[in-house]
Amino acid sequence: MNAVISTTRLHLNRRRETFVVPLSIAGMVAVVSILISLIFWRSGSLPGTPGWVSGSRSNPGIAYALVGFLIYLGVSSVATTFPFALALGATRRAFVGGTFLWNAIAAAYIAALFAILNGLEILTHHWFAGFYIFDIYILGGGDTAKLLLIVFLGVLSCLTLGGVFAAAWERFGVRGPQAIAVALVLALAITAIIVVPDLPAIVAAFQLWWLAVAAAALSLLAALGTWLLLRSAIIR
Amino acid sequence: MSYAIDILNVTRAFGSRTALDDITLRVAEHSICGLLGRNGAGKTTIMSILAGQDRPTSGRVEVFGRRPFENDAVLAKVSFIRDNQRYPDRYCLEHVLRIAPVFAANWSEDLAEELVDGFRIPAKTPIKRFSRGQLSSVAILLGLASRAPLTLFDEPYLGLDVTARAFFHDALLRDYSAHPRTFVLSTHLIEESEALFDQVVILDAGRIRVNASIDDSHECAFTARGNSDAVDHIARGYPVLQTHAIGALKSVVIEGAPDDEVLAQAHQLGVSVGTPSLQELVAAYGADTSPVTPRAISKGTRA
Repeated sequence: MNAVISTTRLHLNRRRETFVVPLSIAGMVAVVSILISLIFWRSGSLPGTPGWVSGSRSNPGIAYALVGFLIYLGVSSVATTFPFALALGATRRAFVGGTFLWNAIAAAYIAALFAILNGLEILTHHWFAGFYIFDIYILGGGDTAKLLLIVFLGVLSCLTLGGVFAAAWERFGVRGPQAIAVALVLALAITAIIVVPDLPAIVAAFQLWWLAVAAAALSLLAALGTWLLLRSAIIR
Repeated sequence: MSYAIDILNVTRAFGSRTALDDITLRVAEHSICGLLGRNGAGKTTIMSILAGQDRPTSGRVEVFGRRPFENDAVLAKVSFIRDNQRYPDRYCLEHVLRIAPVFAANWSEDLAEELVDGFRIPAKTPIKRFSRGQLSSVAILLGLASRAPLTLFDEPYLGLDVTARAFFHDALLRDYSAHPRTFVLSTHLIEESEALFDQVVILDAGRIRVNASIDDSHECAFTARGNSDAVDHIARGYPVLQTHAIGALKSVVIEGAPDDEVLAQAHQLGVSVGTPSLQELVAAYGADTSPVTPRAISKGTRA
């Protein structure tokens, strides 16, 4: 257990990447979203009107902006940290356990951060001017419980997915991530071929918890895949 | 005597290439072992296996009596920083100094501070931008200050200037005397490091050619220098490891110890018989059996 905690601390040692960068990305997206809102305002759209609110809440910019960084963070947490962790004396098992724990801590931190900012946004009547950054549909439309779940599982999925791609690279070199990408595309295509005839019925019956279960399963599968790949990876 | 390292009939193959070929080796606790040989001889592969970063294809490896691969208890006692060690993105010295004590139970803050000052390791520069010598300094810092019961140094001198190398020797010997532990050190700077070693292992093409105490290693072979025909006469019946010939003169490194008859013949024929230095011995064991014929230079101002 100690080696697992030590590995988690190894990841947390990159404090700037874990704690500061997500906040700064959120800040940058907030500024850009406000600038876009100001353009709409100047072009005649009025804050507080149904059209303004609906349009603003449909903007998923904050989520999209973080995805790229989180996948990079997941990749680097394995690609460069794995050899160093082993050099310091961690086992592969402890590394994967510690990395998953760090993924969960980072996901919980970003979810809590977003919940606080969402609360502030609602408390200040959307930053005193009707700007919607966090109170958006993709983050639960202002529902804090939904936002926490969506952000936590979303961040966890991105980090673990990045991790499994990096683990494939550690194990098989360039061919590893390529093979996973091809397998993912094939799986998605085959799923689409099977479900397309029933798509309208599936969409009608869709429940949000389906996505939550899918994200949790994806994260666990990715962590398991990371361990299977790193178990036999040779450090070069 | 208790052993920190016990390797028995270990082979490591990567596809069709055999990196280690049936090696057997023991290293006593609280000793310094020099792992010597040409590039690609198998030195780093041995260290990787000892540090649980790789597994042998066959054979048995024990570190402090237990197999190292995926063994928390063993790996907590081993420090191995590679010559091409990868560090996490945007890592600086402060990151290394903050995390190393988390893993190393015996980490010495005082020694770490002394090494940072002695090697003049930059504090603010990202490790990715370090020079070759600075990277070696960080590896030495991690290896020495961790005071791990088994420390593996893979080419620790790469890029180090002469002052830094002397500082490393001094720091290593001082700390080893105060806190005895086991070191395995691979290097090509043999003359500079020779004084450190208790045991010497010479590898070539994945095989152990010499495994002896530093004193006994000099008895593994002898040199014969003199007239070409006379040297050939002396070398007859012995395995010749390396040959140098210039005109009618010849110098050979011969495996084994010369008996009294050979010494008498050498004296009679005017052949000088001596003991090779460790560096000559390593070069001889790494020499090709069919030496590469030098190409005659036919062009150029001094051809």
